[in-house]
Amino acid sequence: MSTSAREHEVLAPRPTIEPGASGDAGAPIQQTNLWKDAWYRYIRNRGAFVAGVVFGMLVLYCFIYPLLSPYDPDKVDFSLSNQSPSLEHLLGTDRFGRDLLTRTALGGQISIGIGFAATLVILLVGVTYGSISGFVGGHLDNGMMRFLDALYGLPYLPFAIITLAIFGTVNFWTMVIALSIATWFTTARIVRGQIITLKENDYVRAAKALGARWYRVLARHLLPNTLGVLIIAIFLELPGVILGEAFLSFIGLGISPPDASWGAMASDGRVVYRTYPYQIIIPSVAIATLVMCANFIADGLRDAFDPRTRET
Amino acid sequence: MALLDVVDLKTHFFTRDGVVRAVDGVSFTVEPGRTLGIVGESGSGKSVTALSIMGLIPKPPAKIVEGKVLFEGRDLTTLSERQLEDVRGRQISMIFQDPMTSLNPTLTIGTQIVETVRRHFDVSKAQARKRAVELLEEVQIPNAAGRLDDYPHRYSGGMRQRVMIAIALSCNPKLLIADEPTTALDVTVQAQVLDLLEDLRAQHEMAMIIITHDMGVVAEAADDIVVMYAGQIVEQAPVLELFDHPEHPYTEALLAALPQLEGHGIREGRLTAIPGRPPDLIAPPPACRFAPRCPYANDRDGCATHPPELRELRTGHWVRSQHPASERTRAGAGVPA
Repeated sequence: MSTSAREHEVLAPRPTIEPGASGDAGAPIQQTNLWKDAWYRYIRNRGAFVAGVVFGMLVLYCFIYPLLSPYDPDKVDFSLSNQSPSLEHLLGTDRFGRDLLTRTALGGQISIGIGFAATLVILLVGVTYGSISGFVGGHLDNGMMRFLDALYGLPYLPFAIITLAIFGTVNFWTMVIALSIATWFTTARIVRGQIITLKENDYVRAAKALGARWYRVLARHLLPNTLGVLIIAIFLELPGVILGEAFLSFIGLGISPPDASWGAMASDGRVVYRTYPYQIIIPSVAIATLVMCANFIADGLRDAFDPRTRET
Repeated sequence: MALLDVVDLKTHFFTRDGVVRAVDGVSFTVEPGRTLGIVGESGSGKSVTALSIMGLIPKPPAKIVEGKVLFEGRDLTTLSERQLEDVRGRQISMIFQDPMTSLNPTLTIGTQIVETVRRHFDVSKAQARKRAVELLEEVQIPNAAGRLDDYPHRYSGGMRQRVMIAIALSCNPKLLIADEPTTALDVTVQAQVLDLLEDLRAQHEMAMIIITHDMGVVAEAADDIVVMYAGQIVEQAPVLELFDHPEHPYTEALLAALPQLEGHGIREGRLTAIPGRPPDLIAPPPACRFAPRCPYANDRDGCATHPPELRELRTGHWVRSQHPASERTRAGAGVPA
């Protein structure tokens, strides 16, 4: 019986695809593309969505609150020192009498600023190195990757410390360089891998067969297709860089007073942690929140951009 | 003068296991306005031949070790990459087998046409867009203007192949190489795409090379046919001549392997296959490459010792075999036991 049913199906007139009759006219279909798809999948991921909101609020607070705050974050007033959180000072004051709610925001600006700046440098170097290596291929690729393997042996933090020592001064940009100098390897590898996969695509061959020059192939057909991976890479690198900055500042090699960063504030709080524990808890919680959010966001983005997890 | 004259082309792949002679001394010509079909099974070197003409073979490991590709008298194998880039798309265009992957998913159809047009012609974006709409209409994409800003995933396979054809034709090339243009398509769509290709070829006064393993496709589309086996041309003839009087045992076997819709044997439903497998091109059979699978091969005629030359059996009909069909019947010898 089942065979005859199948035969029937085969013999039934198939809907023919007429060139004049396919999906034109009629109701417009909702446009969708990679980015919209990714966005819908991202906001459906509850953890990643909440992390994104918290992350955004934290960044907003850091950059907007200092403008609204009634307190001068650098003004020393020993009459107000080490006040516990109260209505007047929601997060209390440090031993110099500075309002911690304002100062945490200010420290956050530096931490987040260095974090993003260093991540951008990492991306820039990593993408350039990785795409050249992957695109050219052959002996150059081999050489560049073996060189990278050697660099992989460099321990990240000691190398950052040495870099800072070589510069002799610690400011925003030397910190950025110190933190990105030994961290771009992974990004370079990711980009290289992507480029190598992508350049085997038929549309790359087709573009070449139509006369596209190499830079057009790279800029138009290869790099845009790595964007999804790069966005994930940003949020994968960010936590490491922020933690690195906090660590350097905590051991006194990074941002120093009167400038604030969360690491430096935690370092200050460490001195009085038995009596005024909130002074170390506040910046630590801030760092932990930011790093955790970044990790969740990276996870969510990976799911959103990875076609293998795509539901239909 | 011939538009394209391929002379004794040899493209070898230098791999760890040895030298793969993917294309081993192939010569043919394509006259302006004519269609040449290149037929052969997988690994016979037909695609590598096409890529060699375009200068798109992956080097390393591949290399054109010998031969010339004369396009309008100019040897393409001697051009620099930059000069070749100006030829590709403008003089010679190519469409590939799989339309689902031949378009960049991150760019709109319009962008991809506009970029190709602007790559070879100095026109404004607006002009190029106008041309893009015309091209899409020419390949019968409905509502062309409205679909210009769609991404490839909104097009079906047949439509995408038509878009690829539109892009390939955008700069009015003199030669279009179609590498298995219908293999990945539905049978109904195949016929449409083939008809479209033929119409456009006539309109644009192009020459065309169709590469396929489907005898039906070349029968419909080609004027002349080249049959390739193991990197060599084994038979070359005008299309009717080839189908009416196949000479080479391999061509005969290919035609016999076609599914029959009528005649005896249809009820049994068994397809005829060629015994054995295509030879290893690192160490091909020393003389006739088809000998191990050939029903007529025997030691007496030196099939395993003397490589047969490509000889002109009748005007325009070339065969590389000791046992072409006409000689077999005339001599009455060499019939398999």
